Amino acid sequence: MNATLPLRQRLRRALLLAAILGLWAPFKILWEQEIGREQDFLRYHGTVMTRQLRDDLGQGLTIGVLSGMRNVVADLIFVVNVTIAWENEEWFRMGSYINLCTVLQPRAPVFWDVGGWQLAWNASVAAAHDPRQPNELRRIKASRFWVDKGLDVYKRGIENNPNYWRLWADTGLLYQQRLKDYRNAAYYYQKASELPNAPVFYERFPAIMYEDAGDDQAAYAAWKALWLRLTPEQKEKKEHWKEKIKASIRRLEQKLSIPKEKRVFPN
Amino acid sequence: MMTSLYRITVIGRNTLTEAVRQKVLSVLLIFALVLVGSSVLVSEIAGGLDASSLFEQQIKFVKDFGCGAIGLFGFAIALLSTAQLIPQELHNRTIYTILAKPVRRSEFLLGKFFGIVLLLALCVALMSLAFAAALYWQEQLGLAAVDAADTQIPNWQQNPTLVSQYHNDVAQIYQQVRDPQLIEAILLLFMKLVMTTGIALLISTFASSSIFTIVTTFMIYLIGHMESTAREFWLARGAEMSIWQSGLVGFISLLIPDMNSFTIVDEILAGNHVPWSHALNLLGYANAYLIVLLAVSIIIFDYREL
Repeated sequence: MNATLPLRQRLRRALLLAAILGLWAPFKILWEQEIGREQDFLRYHGTVMTRQLRDDLGQGLTIGVLSGMRNVVADLIFVVNVTIAWENEEWFRMGSYINLCTVLQPRAPVFWDVGGWQLAWNASVAAAHDPRQPNELRRIKASRFWVDKGLDVYKRGIENNPNYWRLWADTGLLYQQRLKDYRNAAYYYQKASELPNAPVFYERFPAIMYEDAGDDQAAYAAWKALWLRLTPEQKEKKEHWKEKIKASIRRLEQKLSIPKEKRVFPN
Repeated sequence: MMTSLYRITVIGRNTLTEAVRQKVLSVLLIFALVLVGSSVLVSEIAGGLDASSLFEQQIKFVKDFGCGAIGLFGFAIALLSTAQLIPQELHNRTIYTILAKPVRRSEFLLGKFFGIVLLLALCVALMSLAFAAALYWQEQLGLAAVDAADTQIPNWQQNPTLVSQYHNDVAQIYQQVRDPQLIEAILLLFMKLVMTTGIALLISTFASSSIFTIVTTFMIYLIGHMESTAREFWLARGAEMSIWQSGLVGFISLLIPDMNSFTIVDEILAGNHVPWSHALNLLGYANAYLIVLLAVSIIIFDYREL
């Protein structure tokens, strides 16, 4: 009797364990799948997973091991390695570190924002004034290469963080100041102005950009839309920026010979 | 029932007292200093950026480091204090004295578990206080930087653009530092630590040494971060794999907890919205998993020859 008791006990224990785990396992899988679906929505909501990003995230083993400390690793790479590469003017190295940080934390807008700025401005300006390159054409080409790299970072950042106004605004600034592409600048400034927390003055930038692009019709439409959005009380209140809008609309109505009955300010 | 609860409470309280005496709090003090110091460090390292990007990056760094440190130190405390619970009792032979009294093995085990959970709650609370202090300090530095950057132009109050810029910068600092979602993040981190404790307790019910418990729990913790990948792979391609591959990946998917789902905390720290409903779902999953872990631990410990 005594000799069979431990075996019976062991069997009973094994059966109990198997029953608990057998009941729990399918339930666990279903629950985890549901949590996973919710998290995919929270992480990538409203964005398109680019092929590049999907490829990078395929390095699941490394990322998995780093999980839990992934953000700290990304921060350290950014503030230490990117800064050192920037100070040493090692632009390709800096670019790959920026890429690594954005892969580790695609939903941290600051990496995209500062990373894009580092490439499109710092690397590009340094390439334009590279004393080791006597050929001016090559310097211009190299400079443009880094502007495009920075632009790519900004655009991928926007794909991953579409509600972060600063990325839209900085892309607009890049189009405006480095690429002199005022139409695209207007588009990005417009998007920035529509997002939460964006400074109000971005509302006026698209119209200014259309004027710089020489597209008076689009500029007039933008100024007019801005003016018509104001409530009567807002229009009454004297403010410096509203006077600018009024003056621009009046000037363009004259320039475009808008018929009096269609003008915002007929007098 | 009440007497059983009372016995669990007494064992839990004693476990907490013993654990506190193990110089865990001095580790916490070092952690707090490192955490507070990190914000000063980043101010020096992350120079050269414009003011608005600089404070945004600094606040992110403090948040990441704060929660990273809570996770890391909490993990170490959970693992080390749980791993030696049963082996130490066996080594000191105190377990025989306790179990000779009218105390069930399940009560002993639950008391030990809740003692460690209390210890973790205390540690996380202390670390969160240090974290809050570091964030407050960073907020003050950020506000000072905005003051210095935005108000240096004479009569800036008369310029609506500059006034708008200033208010916008200040609002963004407050939004990032005083983010109520950080409570959600801390709660999720705490639950991840409690799950680690549950795993370590289960291992220690059949392990013969603390080292075995530490190493095995650590491995399960790491594999847990890859469980979601294994599960997706197993569900999508399980039929195409060999029986050994399918068995291994299936074992991981069916039994190992999904630790990677707790990395949703990264989204909160990056300033993205994670609804409470999702956090509660995750907490529910963790609690259900803990009940299973405790049930399995109790069964194994009940039959263990001491």
